[in-house]
Amino acid sequence: MDSLHAIGFYVSSGISLAGGLGVALLPLRVHRGIAMGVAGLGLAGIYLTLSAGFAAAVALLCYAGCAALIAGPQYRSLQVVGAPLWRQVGALGAAALLALLAYSAFRGDFVHASFFGGTWGAASVGRLLLAHDAIATEAVAALILVALAGAATAWRLRERVR
Amino acid sequence: MTAGIVGAMVVGAALAGVGAFAAAWRRDLTAALAGIPLMFAGAGVAFAGIARFGTAGGPQLFGQGFAVLLAVAALALVALGIGIAGREATR
Repeated sequence: MDSLHAIGFYVSSGISLAGGLGVALLPLRVHRGIAMGVAGLGLAGIYLTLSAGFAAAVALLCYAGCAALIAGPQYRSLQVVGAPLWRQVGALGAAALLALLAYSAFRGDFVHASFFGGTWGAASVGRLLLAHDAIATEAVAALILVALAGAATAWRLRERVR
Repeated sequence: MTAGIVGAMVVGAALAGVGAFAAAWRRDLTAALAGIPLMFAGAGVAFAGIARFGTAGGPQLFGQGFAVLLAVAALALVALGIGIAGREATR
């Protein structure tokens, strides 16, 4: 990657992160929608500098749609009644996640894995999930099914109580 | 100045962290929902970065395709959440 692309990558990253912080911190939904659009613009710039032009176009369209939905007036606020302590715990968890992911990015050579699917691609990943690791895939699918059925049951019970 | 796979992964981690912070910090559920597309964006940057720098001479389209899928899934998730919130508002 030459210097021009590297500058574009870092500038786009800054724009995207600034937009993300705006989504997290701005009080008005219109401002949050604009911030989401800015984050999508930065994300499209990142994809462009990573030679992913089609992904950049799709991301620009999708995040513009997200911004329009978030800034729109067609929903009301659903306030969660919870202790501020849990919000602070969640924020600390987000910081811990960032630290863990950044450490993993810098020290990515601490783990080694084998890929049994042959050439990397959609067909090889499908063979891997549906043949080599079929039992694990089935277990994950069963867990997701149980979680979704449980969530639907809990929601229906709550609606019946209302 | 140059950027490599570590830079892409750090930017992806930062986007995912900001999204997790937004989802945890906002008291409004529909505002917290806006953090999830940011986390998807972080994952997409990581996939596109690995496709760009990690596949030496190999196919890059898998990571880029997954980034496209994540962007569409983010839009679908926000639309679903806003739709549910709008349905609650009409009651």
